[in-house]
Amino acid sequence: MTGAVVSRLAYRALQRRVLQSVLFVISILAGVALVVGVDVAAESARRAFSLSLASLQGNATHEIVGGPSGVPSSLYRSLRADLGIRTAAPVIQGIVRAGADEIALTLLGIDPFAEAHVRQYLAGASAANAPGVEGQALLRLMADPNTVLVAQSVAARLGLTPGDTLTLSTARGSRNVTLVGIIHPANELSAQALASLIVTDISTAQEIVGSPGVLTRIDLVLTDAQVLSAIQASLPPGVVVRPVESNKNNLEQLSDSFTLNLQALSLLALVVGVFLVYNIMSFSVVQRRRQIGMLRAIGATRRQIFGGILLEAVVLGVVGTLLGLAVGYVLGGFLVGAVTRTISDLYYRVEVQALTLSSFTVAKGAITGLGASLGAALIPALNATRITPASALRSADAEQASRSRADVAAVAGIIVLAAGLALTQFQAQSLLLGLGALFLVLMGSVLITPLALLCAMHVVQPLLGRVVGTLGRIAPRSISRSLSRTGVAVAALALSVSVIVGVSVMIASFRGTVTTWLDGALTADVFISAPASGLLETVNLDPTLGEQLQDLPGVARVLTARDVPVLAPDYPSLPPVNLVAVSEDLAERSRRYLWLAVPEEDVWDAMQDGAIIVTESFAYRRGVSPETNTLSLLTDSGPRSFLIVGVYYHYGTDQGIVLMADSVYREHYSDPWVSSFALFLTPEAQSGSVAESVRGLIAAQGLNVQSTGELRTQVFAIFDRAFNITAALRSLAAVVAFIGVLSALMALQLDQKRTLGTMRALGLTGGQLWRLTLLETGLMGLAAGLFALPIGLLLAKMLIDVINVRAFGWTFAFLVPPGSLLQAVLIALTAALLAGAYPAWRAARLAPAEAIRNE
Amino acid sequence: MNSSYVNKWLLVSGLIVGVLALLVFGAVRIATQPSQLIGAETTIIPAESRVEGFARADEPWPWDFPRDHGPHPAFQTEWWYFTGNLTTADGRRFGYQFTIFRRALTPEQRDSQSEWYTNQIYLAHFTVSDIAGETFYQEERFSRGAVDLAGAEVSPRFRVWIDDWAVFATDEAVSQMFIRAQAAGFAIDLTLTPVKGPAFHGENGLSKKGPEPGNASYYYSLSRLETTGTVEIGNKQFDVSGLSWMDREFGTSALSAGAVGWDWFGIHLDDGRDIMVGQIRQQDGSLEPLFGGLLVLPDGTTRYLTAEEFTITPLGSWQSERSGATYPAGWEIELALGDSSLRLELEPLLADQEVLANVIYWEGAVRVGGDVQGYGYAELTGYAQPLRGLI
Repeated sequence: MTGAVVSRLAYRALQRRVLQSVLFVISILAGVALVVGVDVAAESARRAFSLSLASLQGNATHEIVGGPSGVPSSLYRSLRADLGIRTAAPVIQGIVRAGADEIALTLLGIDPFAEAHVRQYLAGASAANAPGVEGQALLRLMADPNTVLVAQSVAARLGLTPGDTLTLSTARGSRNVTLVGIIHPANELSAQALASLIVTDISTAQEIVGSPGVLTRIDLVLTDAQVLSAIQASLPPGVVVRPVESNKNNLEQLSDSFTLNLQALSLLALVVGVFLVYNIMSFSVVQRRRQIGMLRAIGATRRQIFGGILLEAVVLGVVGTLLGLAVGYVLGGFLVGAVTRTISDLYYRVEVQALTLSSFTVAKGAITGLGASLGAALIPALNATRITPASALRSADAEQASRSRADVAAVAGIIVLAAGLALTQFQAQSLLLGLGALFLVLMGSVLITPLALLCAMHVVQPLLGRVVGTLGRIAPRSISRSLSRTGVAVAALALSVSVIVGVSVMIASFRGTVTTWLDGALTADVFISAPASGLLETVNLDPTLGEQLQDLPGVARVLTARDVPVLAPDYPSLPPVNLVAVSEDLAERSRRYLWLAVPEEDVWDAMQDGAIIVTESFAYRRGVSPETNTLSLLTDSGPRSFLIVGVYYHYGTDQGIVLMADSVYREHYSDPWVSSFALFLTPEAQSGSVAESVRGLIAAQGLNVQSTGELRTQVFAIFDRAFNITAALRSLAAVVAFIGVLSALMALQLDQKRTLGTMRALGLTGGQLWRLTLLETGLMGLAAGLFALPIGLLLAKMLIDVINVRAFGWTFAFLVPPGSLLQAVLIALTAALLAGAYPAWRAARLAPAEAIRNE
Repeated sequence: MNSSYVNKWLLVSGLIVGVLALLVFGAVRIATQPSQLIGAETTIIPAESRVEGFARADEPWPWDFPRDHGPHPAFQTEWWYFTGNLTTADGRRFGYQFTIFRRALTPEQRDSQSEWYTNQIYLAHFTVSDIAGETFYQEERFSRGAVDLAGAEVSPRFRVWIDDWAVFATDEAVSQMFIRAQAAGFAIDLTLTPVKGPAFHGENGLSKKGPEPGNASYYYSLSRLETTGTVEIGNKQFDVSGLSWMDREFGTSALSAGAVGWDWFGIHLDDGRDIMVGQIRQQDGSLEPLFGGLLVLPDGTTRYLTAEEFTITPLGSWQSERSGATYPAGWEIELALGDSSLRLELEPLLADQEVLANVIYWEGAVRVGGDVQGYGYAELTGYAQPLRGLI
């Protein structure tokens, strides 16, 4: 009977406190939406990448791959004829840019006769001249030069129908090909997998993107371990066989750190949400003290009271979570563009055709949403059970408790903070633990906030009193008195503003570090490279182009760089190593080293003798140190160990780079190509006019010719894109906090009605009440803004020293932009003042009698 | 008379095109285990025929051996077709078929920087009939004629191969041929020594297919090759000897509407004569009147057999559980050779010698009785699927 009453009262409470209910829902909604949105974007990108890998390798279980020299074509014959392996398929593959829009697509060159076991989707290709007639198209691929197949989606994007001609360009030039058929994928999934693929005969692919005598890889479907060892035994030294799955996992993990960071940031928004919910629920309990006391008086048990409050949280939590899932999915659609763009810039080219909403994401969203609702309501619900019929009548009681709890919270906060900081010292490589530590530090800081607020109000009270008068004394006291409400609101605001501070400082620090690094790294005058995206794209430029460049007037020296993925047998679970072989040391004087085993001026000599240097990220990921200073790389003659004589700072890729002298590289790899050129000009030459003549020379090849300034701009464009999403999330988190805090403070002030009414009755004017209200919220905002600064800086420090190091292997300078600090305080203050505006307006118009009577 | 082999040529050459189209289309269904192929529901599709630009068989060929054992890439289609009956010292019998087809996709080999480029593709059928073991072994292969995967050459030595399946000679004159093929669970390693010289069909090997000039092929047989070597079944090796028959044909054929299928027989008689007879079954149930045969006498001289000179009468039938097709099984063949006549009874050594490749047909060893004893091979097509669609 009383149970029903409690439930009905809970329902009524919901009904009556619409504003609070809406706030509760919004807080959960926003948190869940961000978590889900980021997850959807990251999952979609990962799934699209995974599908495109799957479409490239079909049913293959293993692959035979080599280094930059590739896999000799003759190996395929020996697999078939000597080992009798029939489930092998040769592949020559590369990136081409198709059509006028230069859409990047993967050119997959296959032998139609070898595809039976590997890429079965090819069977569904229909011919140009006989739609629906399958098989013909694949035969035409072999018979007719420069013929290709694409899926319908690609044909539509390129505006092609079978029979049409298409221009494919690579770094080596462009070539017209004819679309002879359409691949009809069996289902939606295959359709997505084929969305960036051009299929052609292996001979055509070799002419367009390959090298003579060399395959990209051989795909294998193997079930027999004996066959695998027979293959292993028969391979030439520079070639290995490995499971496709491990390679796929290695490649997919390229972007893990990036997406994990995004996910952590989205969780931060949820944490803010939890605080808001806690705030709302505490407030709601405080508001209902009398009612709860009466319920207890008529016989409601503590358990029923507890259940009633939690029921309220569950109902609101469910609504918020459901809405959050829906909004998150939509948000994911907006975020996915930015996420895939950055993943394509930095890691691998990926195109998302459809959003993926995995059940894992839904479950994660639902659990975090409901968990946050319940977790945040737990303490207020427990508090509610402590209300006795007698104590309900005494309001000061609660505040006294709250004040003493502020001490306890602060002590707990210091412990949690210390634990978080201690955690950073533990398991120094784990990114997840690092993020855990970050959350602990944030929690700890937040727990200290109420006590800090109390102290701050204690300090400002006399000061403010002297400046503003009586109101100046009333406002801080009022804040201290309602600490159970104000403390949480200020903590929530401080938390969200500190996130803004932390992320801003982190981005600024990174950008500043990159600027310094880039200025040192870009010493040449003109750079020539192919438009490439991601780490997985190898660009093959003809080295003879270097000689032509050398002959141009105004060109003093031409440097070449070769940028290729190479297998490092000692790190089978990491992606291949990015090996960069340079003909001269472009940045010899300006490179900054973490450590060097030889004098700086001898580095290049050591490299020409076969030593290598690696970047900081590379060293971090593979535990390279002055003591562990060799790296084994798979060369044409098998694994070869190279001495690492230095680790240098580099912010171009978080996967790290191995820098080698070109002469050493060519000794170990029979690779005819180069990846880019850098030109040094004669002192009198104009870089603009040289760039112009370079463009004339390579007009047909679609290469980028960039001056130092242009390249710098491009690097920063990529950099800014990479942080766009971080910045966007930061802003979203800020908006969530802003709305939440605004509403919480507003509710707080509206609840002051009775107090304000009393004050009005005591003779305060409307204007004074208006000022008092604004003063209170302004004080809280300012306090939150100021508290946010140390928390934010600590956050930034941890992001830089713990999270970025663990995620990307980067260290960078701690640069604090004063503007962003000021901005943070202003945001907090603005939020608070805005929150106060409406209640202040209401307070000014308050009829005292009515206000008091209402209670 | 010149048209005796007209339709078989057309059908076989059409079959190759069809098979090629099929096997690339049917990539999914191609598997090393024959049993896996059975479930496939295949619609045989018309294949595009591009004969323009290829060399045509339009005048007598200046035969030159061993050169002509090698490939003639200017012609669209070519094959090396071996069948034979073998027996161990203690009388255990085996039959085998080993065929490599070559098909040019385009008349000209264009310049390419890719070693993978070729306009030549190859496919092969390899079967062994283990009579005592009552098992028919088979495998199909196909490949592009590039990067040494498959090919045909006569210089420095005669060799035709796909992967590790090959027929080759070790001397320039091709005084012997060697066949080596290892498939899943069965293999052959045979030495073939021709007893008779090449037997030419048609006008000294120019076998016309129709009234239009060029619609013809060049065709010869080595009808009797003494064969020794080993047959391997599972892990067991058998030393065998016996006789083989090689059919060689190359040309460029315009495709025309045709027949439902054909029955073909190559027979080695104990008296040293070799006989080839066949018949084409038309859509209306009649037989193609121009289809004939060839008699090769012990000294290697040949005599054509017109359709009027022989009759082929089925004696029984066998239904395949796997394809559902019903094939004739056992025949009476009567030949009227001028004054004399010859009555032969053919009986399959094994009922199930059905080839379940991308095109389903029956090709198997037969025992010959009647007036003269012997052994031979029978080829029955168009029973599982109408071959008409192919051409």
